[in-house]
Amino acid sequence: MAFGATRSKKLSASTIGHGLLLVPFALFFIVFEIVPMIWVAVTAFFVEETEAWGLGNFVEILGDAFYLQSFTNSLSLSFWSAFIGLLISAFAAASLQKVPGRMREWMVSFTNMTSNFAGVPLAFAFIIILGFNGSLTLLLKQLGIIENFNVYGIQGLFLIYTYFQIPLGLLLLFPAFSALKPEWEEAAFTMGASRLEYWIRVAIPVMLPALLGTLTILFANAMGAYASAYALTVGNYNLVTIRIGQLVVGDIFFQPNMAASLSVLLIIILSFVTAIYRFLLRRSYHAA
Amino acid sequence: MQPKTGAMIYHKTVIILTALILGMPIAATVLYSFATNWGPTILPDGLTLKWFETLLAEPRFLMALGRSLLICFATLLFSTLLVLPMVFAVFYYFPRLKDVMEVIIILPFAVPPVVSSVGLLQLFAGDPVPIVGTPWILIGTYFTITVPFMYRALANGLEGINLKDLIDAAHLLGANTFTAFMRCILPNLNRALLASLFISFSFLMGEFVFANILVGTRFETLQIYLYTKRMTSGHLNAAIVTTYFFLTLALTWAAMYLSRPRTEKPVEDE
Amino acid sequence: MSTDNQHYVSVRALSKSFEEQHVFENLDFDIAKGEFVTLLGPSGCGKSTLLRCLAGLEQPDTGSISVDGVDITRAKAQKRGIGMVFQSYALFPNMTVTENIAFGLKMQRVAASEIASRVERGVALVELQGNEKKYPHQLSGGQKQRVALARALVTEPRILLLDEPLSALDARIRRSLREQIREIQKDLHLTTVFVTHDQEEAMTISDRIFLMSKGKIVQKATPDEIYLNPINEFAARFIGSYNLLTRDQARDVLGFETTCGLIAVRPESIYIAQDGGLYPPSCSRPVKAVIDSHQLLGNVIRYRARLAGDLFLTVDVMNRSSSRLVEPGAEVSLLFNMAEIRPLSE
Repeated sequence: MAFGATRSKKLSASTIGHGLLLVPFALFFIVFEIVPMIWVAVTAFFVEETEAWGLGNFVEILGDAFYLQSFTNSLSLSFWSAFIGLLISAFAAASLQKVPGRMREWMVSFTNMTSNFAGVPLAFAFIIILGFNGSLTLLLKQLGIIENFNVYGIQGLFLIYTYFQIPLGLLLLFPAFSALKPEWEEAAFTMGASRLEYWIRVAIPVMLPALLGTLTILFANAMGAYASAYALTVGNYNLVTIRIGQLVVGDIFFQPNMAASLSVLLIIILSFVTAIYRFLLRRSYHAA
Repeated sequence: MQPKTGAMIYHKTVIILTALILGMPIAATVLYSFATNWGPTILPDGLTLKWFETLLAEPRFLMALGRSLLICFATLLFSTLLVLPMVFAVFYYFPRLKDVMEVIIILPFAVPPVVSSVGLLQLFAGDPVPIVGTPWILIGTYFTITVPFMYRALANGLEGINLKDLIDAAHLLGANTFTAFMRCILPNLNRALLASLFISFSFLMGEFVFANILVGTRFETLQIYLYTKRMTSGHLNAAIVTTYFFLTLALTWAAMYLSRPRTEKPVEDE
Repeated sequence: MSTDNQHYVSVRALSKSFEEQHVFENLDFDIAKGEFVTLLGPSGCGKSTLLRCLAGLEQPDTGSISVDGVDITRAKAQKRGIGMVFQSYALFPNMTVTENIAFGLKMQRVAASEIASRVERGVALVELQGNEKKYPHQLSGGQKQRVALARALVTEPRILLLDEPLSALDARIRRSLREQIREIQKDLHLTTVFVTHDQEEAMTISDRIFLMSKGKIVQKATPDEIYLNPINEFAARFIGSYNLLTRDQARDVLGFETTCGLIAVRPESIYIAQDGGLYPPSCSRPVKAVIDSHQLLGNVIRYRARLAGDLFLTVDVMNRSSSRLVEPGAEVSLLFNMAEIRPLSE
């Protein structure tokens, strides 16, 4: 109908007008986020040495012990820091529900503030307390708890990574724990369950999606971390992000395509972990 | 149910312990920045302000701080100008894009900055847009960092008000959409906007990866400056870190203050 | 060990405060075995806290609670042999209907085969057959509450506690569910304490009502007694739609002298005089009034009448087709059944 045609034309014009509000944002976001992503994804498949397209970079990575070590190091560090960080923040989040309001508010503020303390400043702080002459190192040595502690290596890295996982974990888990209704615990008590039985049979199963989700986020957070590791170890410890950085800045080796290939592998690992999380989520019950 | 006293002691202990773990590196650094000398002993020898005095007189520090502040303010202004219209357009004209946006705001987190840098360095090192090594590329990348925070805050703010009804009411009263937005909608988003600006600010002040890989010392921000001083006096470094930390503290506190829920109770009907 | 059945549950001098505020003080009462007692009162009167003390979810400051002769004041909630139904149902979201109902039996270490049969009986008891494998979020409010009820009952508790279990449900479900609860309770002869703020609910299902206000039990009586003889102004205002007249108003309007400050008159104790109508001999002389408005409440027409001195009274009349609706503004004569007037001591 003629009327309908006019209407849809009018709709188009105003839609374009309204769409203009989106253009500046879209433009800059695409240029600075999307395009680099695509660039990395594409150039990963260009092998510099042979100047040809193919999987050559990936083959090289998977056959190179040094590269493989960077992956195992990153995976191990990320997993353990995420796991321990999750444990600590889970206990803290659970207790945070139960302490009086003022303490709770104070702790939430404090956690918010410490969550920003990461990267170079954090590395410095750790060097100060846990360096060779750091006060904590000396204290622990005097107490006989440790003998040699190298903050510039894996031990320091593990501590610093776990450190910055805690606030993030706490801020993510705190709302999840408040979803635990006190009536569930009370109902369980009236039916004869001890506190432990309540936790094992009701609380933890209910919290499982949140716990797994947080673990995944913490893991991804650690895998992608660069600043803390760089500042603490000056690139001496073999991690994937450090490798990528060094290959693309090109001080010694300038291999941007290899950097891209490593990046693609990193993203694949992260996607894989997220997929496992979603799969596990679907397997468990899904509360409304 | 009130936990019994024994349980409460346990819970308080857990919180205090966690706070101690989190606070220790910060406390040690702050103490270090006020210490005269802290050799291989548990506590420092004495207290002084001389490190801060040295710092404030150090031109390179002040320049670095200035650059960081400049970049942050510029980015926040830029982000606001881009994100605000976009959020409004999505919520008012294109609500189906909300799902798309949920995916988009994950990208800066899903793709680590190191990885983005690989592409950015290649794309913008030379022609046609040679902005690597200049503050411009930082503004562009920092903008992408702020997007998740700002979108989330503004989207939450808009979910809370009935956007369509407010604009319709304004239209009926004679306002065009732009006026309606500026006078009726935006004032309601102020708190959310400000809170997200403060959070973004503190995040950007601490940013190192893009600064290190894309500009390095050609535009030395606070974090780059801090890094270059790694091998020099620990006390001075501690003073820099302490300054940075208290700045972040103030910003985060301001953000939280703005985001606190309104406590006025509505008047009850009789 | 056993006591006489009148004192199956015995509470003496029970007090509780929260942060300097008294929730309730010096409560004394007994509940008989198999009795259905309702704690009735407005919000903040302490009824829920009292119930939670009985359950062991709160600790009273002083006083004692005994069940079947045994003092359980300090016993843990797990060990009291109590079944409880919560206002928010409190169903475990990670368990199906069957698993929820079986939980208490699992805690009692009952054999698996017996669990299965008892759960089956529980499901049948609340008429939820066919829903065994559903999760709480897939159920309606009424269904959730029935699961909660079954879950509390399968453990064969000595006492059943219900904390405003029907408040979150819509009116029709509320009525049918409360009848179901009462029937089950009678069949099982289960000692039950029910908390509500809804006086109609309390009146329909209780053996006795404990009317509470500001932490005190104002009146303990059967629904009948409370309705016919409210003990004070609070009780009169809370139950039914009593008219309250001051001493002076009673004297001026009815010629009724009393030393009490207030008298209570039930709406159905006032009649609109009509020609040829038959009224009890205990009625007062006619009192002039003007009808202000009326509400049709189904089988009752509720009139609002204005008397001299701007006194407004509620008058209830059965809705029979023979009596016509009196229009607002009409002048009428009212007759008061003086035998049913109740002076209030407080």
